[in-house]
Amino acid sequence: MPALNGLLWLISYWLIGEVVIHFSGLPISSGVVGMLLLCATLAMIGRVPSSLAAAAQPLIALLAMLIMPGVVGVFFILDELAGQWLAIVASLLLGTLLSVFTTLWLLKRLMGRSHAD
Amino acid sequence: MLTNLLPTLTATPLFAVGLTLAAYLVGSALFMRLSKPSWLPAILIAALLLAAILALLGVPYATYQQGATWLTVLLGPATVALGMPLYQQLPRIRELWRPLAACLPIAASLAACYALGIAWLLGAGPDILASIAAKSVTAPIAIGITEQLGGSVALLMGSLLVTGVLTIPFVSLAARVLRINDERIIGFALGLNGHAIGTVRAFDISPTAGAFASLGMSLTGIFTALLLPLAWRLVGLAG
Repeated sequence: MPALNGLLWLISYWLIGEVVIHFSGLPISSGVVGMLLLCATLAMIGRVPSSLAAAAQPLIALLAMLIMPGVVGVFFILDELAGQWLAIVASLLLGTLLSVFTTLWLLKRLMGRSHAD
Repeated sequence: MLTNLLPTLTATPLFAVGLTLAAYLVGSALFMRLSKPSWLPAILIAALLLAAILALLGVPYATYQQGATWLTVLLGPATVALGMPLYQQLPRIRELWRPLAACLPIAASLAACYALGIAWLLGAGPDILASIAAKSVTAPIAIGITEQLGGSVALLMGSLLVTGVLTIPFVSLAARVLRINDERIIGFALGLNGHAIGTVRAFDISPTAGAFASLGMSLTGIFTALLLPLAWRLVGLAG
């Protein structure tokens, strides 16, 4: 059961993240701590164990499904948001448009310069 | 008979899990059938289906959410799993670390600040601001951030969906206007702004775009998770 083995890796790193946050009081999620620790561990080993890949790949592919139960919640709080609608929709729409343009423009400038070096 | 059936079914978490799986699979199948429209991602179809089924059956969201915990608990290990693509892209990160490192803090901060600024100008309250602040961050990380800021997770998830869905056409528009063809740039922008939804789209473009999208998504997640709660406290928005 390589995938089960890999899942235990992932769960252990998440729990280690919980421990780190409990003692350090860092304002980040245990998933992020676990992700960074996992990346650091893999860099030390120098390869991805196949059991880990067997668990990590399907989980990453399922990310979209795992957020669905939360996403659906927004349809049930529509009433509570009455009156704030314009602000929310406008900020998401314009904010995303502006930030997409800024990101692409910045990267184009920065990568252009590094190529010239 | 029928009135008794629903409570019996919703008593087990398998009902919520089954509904979610079904909606996801039907949503994905419809998405393929419609030949992958960029304005209607699979997750949007699936979420609309799921919301419609719950409303038709009269299942309260809280009941559904309780059962679906069996799925959402996997978000923890799924976030940890993102450490694997991050490790696999380390050579690429080193290659381009200078432009990426210069761009990321600015772009990731602006992704949050533009939306917060516009919402604030339009008179949104602090609870709304706290809920949309993490709109460009991948869900498992964004949920943790939003809980710390004291926002509504349901509204955050809605913002994630809207942001991710909008990022896809916006990136193709901006790339055309700015005359950018580099798949690495396009992928990075998709992941940075559009988190998992943008990353899925980037993998459709090419594996390189997908790799840079997961990189952009991971780095934005880490950067925002480390700095947003601290910035929030400094500005004094947290209660």
